[in-house]
Amino acid sequence: MLAKIKTVLSSLMLVELLKGMALTGRYFFARKITIQFPEERTPMSPRFRGLHALRRYPNGEERCIACKLCEAVCPAMAITIESEQREDNTRRTTRYDIDLTKCIFCGFCEESCPVDSIVETRIFDYHGEKRGDLLYTKPMLLAVGDKYETQIAADRSADAKYR
Amino acid sequence: MLNIEIDGKAVEVDHGTTIIDAADKLGIAIPRFCYHKKLSVAANCRMCLVQVEKFAKPLPACATPVADGMKIFTRSKAAVEAQKSVMEFLLINHPLDCPICDQGGECDLQDIAVAYGAPASRYAEEKRVVLNKNIGPLVSTDMTRCIQCTRCVRFLKEVGGMMELGMVGRGEHAEITAYVDKSVDSELSGNIIDLCPVGALTSKPFRYKARTWELTRRPSIAPHDGLGSQIEVHIKDGKVLRVLPREKESINECWLSDRDRFSYEGLNSPDRLTVPMIKHHGEWHETDWKTALEFAAGQLKDITNADGGEQLGVLVSPNSTMEEAYLAKQIAHGLGSSNIDYRLRQTDFRLDGKRMGTPWMGCNIPDLQEMDRILVIGSNLRNEHPLLANRIRKAVAQGAELSLVNPMDDDQLMAVKHKAICTPNDMVNVLAQILKAMSGLQRLSLCLPKSLNDLLETVRVWDNSQAMAESLAGLGKEVDLVSPRTGIFLGNIAQSHPRFTELYSLAEAIASLCGATFGILSPAANSTGAHLVGVLPGEHGLNAKAMLESPRKAYLLVNVEPELDCHHAAQARQAIAEAECVIALTAYKSEALEHADVLLPIAPFTETSGTYMSMEGRVQSFTAVTKPLGECRPGWKILRVLGNTLGLSGFDFDSSEQVKNAIFGGQKPSTVVWNSLNNNLRELIDIQVKIKSNVLQRLGEVPQFQSDAIVRRSPPLQKTRAVQAPVAAMHSQLLTELGLDDGEMVTVKQGVASVLLKAKRDDRLPHGVVRVPTALPVTSLLGDLMGEIEVTRA
Amino acid sequence: MLSQESLAKIDRELTKYPADRRQAAVMSALRIAQDEKGWLSKETVAYVAEYLGIPPIAALEVASFYNMYELEPVGQYKITVCTNISCMLRDSDVIVDHLQERLGIGFNETTPDGKFTLKEGECMGCCGGAPLFHINNKRMCEFLTKEKVDAILEELK
Repeated sequence: MLAKIKTVLSSLMLVELLKGMALTGRYFFARKITIQFPEERTPMSPRFRGLHALRRYPNGEERCIACKLCEAVCPAMAITIESEQREDNTRRTTRYDIDLTKCIFCGFCEESCPVDSIVETRIFDYHGEKRGDLLYTKPMLLAVGDKYETQIAADRSADAKYR
Repeated sequence: MLNIEIDGKAVEVDHGTTIIDAADKLGIAIPRFCYHKKLSVAANCRMCLVQVEKFAKPLPACATPVADGMKIFTRSKAAVEAQKSVMEFLLINHPLDCPICDQGGECDLQDIAVAYGAPASRYAEEKRVVLNKNIGPLVSTDMTRCIQCTRCVRFLKEVGGMMELGMVGRGEHAEITAYVDKSVDSELSGNIIDLCPVGALTSKPFRYKARTWELTRRPSIAPHDGLGSQIEVHIKDGKVLRVLPREKESINECWLSDRDRFSYEGLNSPDRLTVPMIKHHGEWHETDWKTALEFAAGQLKDITNADGGEQLGVLVSPNSTMEEAYLAKQIAHGLGSSNIDYRLRQTDFRLDGKRMGTPWMGCNIPDLQEMDRILVIGSNLRNEHPLLANRIRKAVAQGAELSLVNPMDDDQLMAVKHKAICTPNDMVNVLAQILKAMSGLQRLSLCLPKSLNDLLETVRVWDNSQAMAESLAGLGKEVDLVSPRTGIFLGNIAQSHPRFTELYSLAEAIASLCGATFGILSPAANSTGAHLVGVLPGEHGLNAKAMLESPRKAYLLVNVEPELDCHHAAQARQAIAEAECVIALTAYKSEALEHADVLLPIAPFTETSGTYMSMEGRVQSFTAVTKPLGECRPGWKILRVLGNTLGLSGFDFDSSEQVKNAIFGGQKPSTVVWNSLNNNLRELIDIQVKIKSNVLQRLGEVPQFQSDAIVRRSPPLQKTRAVQAPVAAMHSQLLTELGLDDGEMVTVKQGVASVLLKAKRDDRLPHGVVRVPTALPVTSLLGDLMGEIEVTRA
Repeated sequence: MLSQESLAKIDRELTKYPADRRQAAVMSALRIAQDEKGWLSKETVAYVAEYLGIPPIAALEVASFYNMYELEPVGQYKITVCTNISCMLRDSDVIVDHLQERLGIGFNETTPDGKFTLKEGECMGCCGGAPLFHINNKRMCEFLTKEKVDAILEELK
């Protein structure tokens, strides 16, 4: 009996509504957490595993020595490498393809690289309009590396002490 | 027998066994770098240190013979500590370039470092650097990686026969090098790549092509010499990237000759024929299989119908498989032709029909190294059969006496007890002398047939031949062997000799007099097999030589490049050019086949299944290791379909196994082989001992890396020092008599054709012989391998 | 390449070993060749190897192992000073300094006139005579003092 009166009272008094409005009001005046992507971006860890890049040494020489450890370790078999002896007798790739439709972004390739050549960058908002667009070839990967080298180098040095 | 205990396991071993051998017998792994079962013990890597009870210090297992009651510990604290320390020392100067090292993934140092080494090095100082040496086009060096195990040095010295590498300097400055800027020219040099436990010596053609774990490994049989070496072909993406030996103690042990190891580069040659081609109005047109085969069948049929089957000649390369040979024979017979032959470089066929069976080596390959006395007639062993030469070298090292009767004195890198270096003509005379001397040796007296006896009456025995006969009979300076194991072998030069019949008959007679093993060393992978299959002219058929001498209207060529593979290049060229119809099954486009009418792309040994029969009668089948390139098809399939298209019966085969079954009549191959191998003659042939001629004779030898189409197209082999621009080599005396200077350009003439070559002084040749190699484009205008030759100043 | 006398000497050495063990004489042969030529060029080593019928690399292995064989040209007099422990305790440093000052060269160097080469040697097994050096591998000079060194150098000049 008593409980029934209580329910009738509270529904008449719009308590629930007011509670809800109070919550809304609290958030209305609180600091906003929504970000306006792509104008605004959330902070990221230097360990973020996004789009791959091939790096170069400061003198412009590509780092990759075609050791094929990344190819061997890749659980999705997304990497294809072909190697040759370049004219200056060094070991280099003639082909370095990553099929991003296969890639699971586990980061093993980066982990296995003895010369820090293949890395995963902070880029995650790349896209392709055809399936083939996501097959990244050596020049494309090197271009990514060239463009973001400053960021890549900073991320590696930030994480260096934990490795 | 001694009783010892290793890691608590008891084992009984022979006197003189080393600890490492005993452990291997028990299956206990002891790490090692310098020890190799086929090489002498050096004990310089120290990796195999083990603890032995009652010894204060660890002992090297490879160099310590066991004693009775020895208790050995390979994983005790002391042993592990010793192994760890040695590993640390070995790694001090080893560069950390595993990611770019071709050995990475199959490296003993990597494996053993992981298994026995410490996780980290305490060495922080500078590592030493050793300059790389250029030791030729086959072996690539990275000497900083070397750990001075000296396996390569010992291999070249003990197995190769010539110490071409050595360790100079001492201590930290020690390094492996060839003398000053020499290269390693051994015909077995590729084996040092396998022997090297680190990446210091790697394969140059394979350099940086692939990592070991990417390769698919498939077994096969080496297709270049009559040994039948077992090989493992390594493939990536359908392409053959390297060839390694498979260990087979009774054939190739664990070695492989350079020819077998590096010939695969010829498989990837741009010369490969990938689509069938038909010549129409003098122009080559690519076509499909159906058109090509129907065209070929039509042509063959037209000619055989119009002019009879005898107008068709079939030449089969002795490197073709038994299946291909068999089907080619079936086609020839089906078209009513008995002109079929595989003996392309033979010139003397008088033995045909007089043999009891298929000629073979007469013994098994390992028997060679057990022999006491060996006579080799007409063979440049190292060139022709590199690994067989190694077996003989082993026999010689164990005290066997080797005698040679040769028309040249090339260094065989082993001690030759007696040698007769004479003109090809005189070789017959020398053999007659040996026979006479042999029959005169009392304790071996046996009756010779009268015809031979009469013949020998007139022969005067030279001291050298007498000595050779005595050596073969087992007589020695200090000890006489009562029953020596003797072998008499005819090599490639003897088989292409214009008087092969005489050489064969005399050698056989000598062998039967002294109870020796007698055999011929088959020049190609399937010579013995092709004979067994019966790729031989029928009763009224023409042999390989006659087919070219009296040209046929139509030819069917299986794997043959006529002017490079036949004994008479000029004749072959002409016969093919003038024939109405030439159907060539070939893996390569080549100038030699410019005059053909149809080219059918045949798959080489890696792309077809088939069977080879080695010179010791071993029948070895293999399967394709990769897909045929382009439109290539296995030879047996092409011949089968050609047979079907021709409307012949007996061509209903679905696999090469079925063809093989047909060859052996459903019986076990060994039964058939056992019943057919026989070197004896049914009857003796008239032998002429004395032929004196004053004309110059050509010695047309097939250079090692020109022996067949695949080898000829292998770039690394063609870059070796063994391959040189062809010269006309002759003795200095002959040079003077002809009024020529060393290095001068001369005109070399055989028949109507002549070529310009450089004259070369070579005192290893007998007087009266001009050595001009064959199977080269330059000399393919010339004639008979051992025919008359004229040399004049250009 | 080598003089008749040297070849005769090598032949004499060869008689000390069985006829089929010619390699055994390689050390003596190299020594004799060095005595004649002053040092062992690659050509000399190859010649000696050929004379003995062994592969040239086998002779080079020996020649490069022992440091009394000279594979680079040296002066007329090669002075090898022992700097090992016994000599050092007996002031070989002083002798070395004195020699370097007098000749104006360091170890492994040759005077401009091509007369002297200075080498650092290991123990010569004559610690009883320390400090010491030897000249051209043949003449041993013991109990050295500065004065004695001067006298020897004077004599060689």
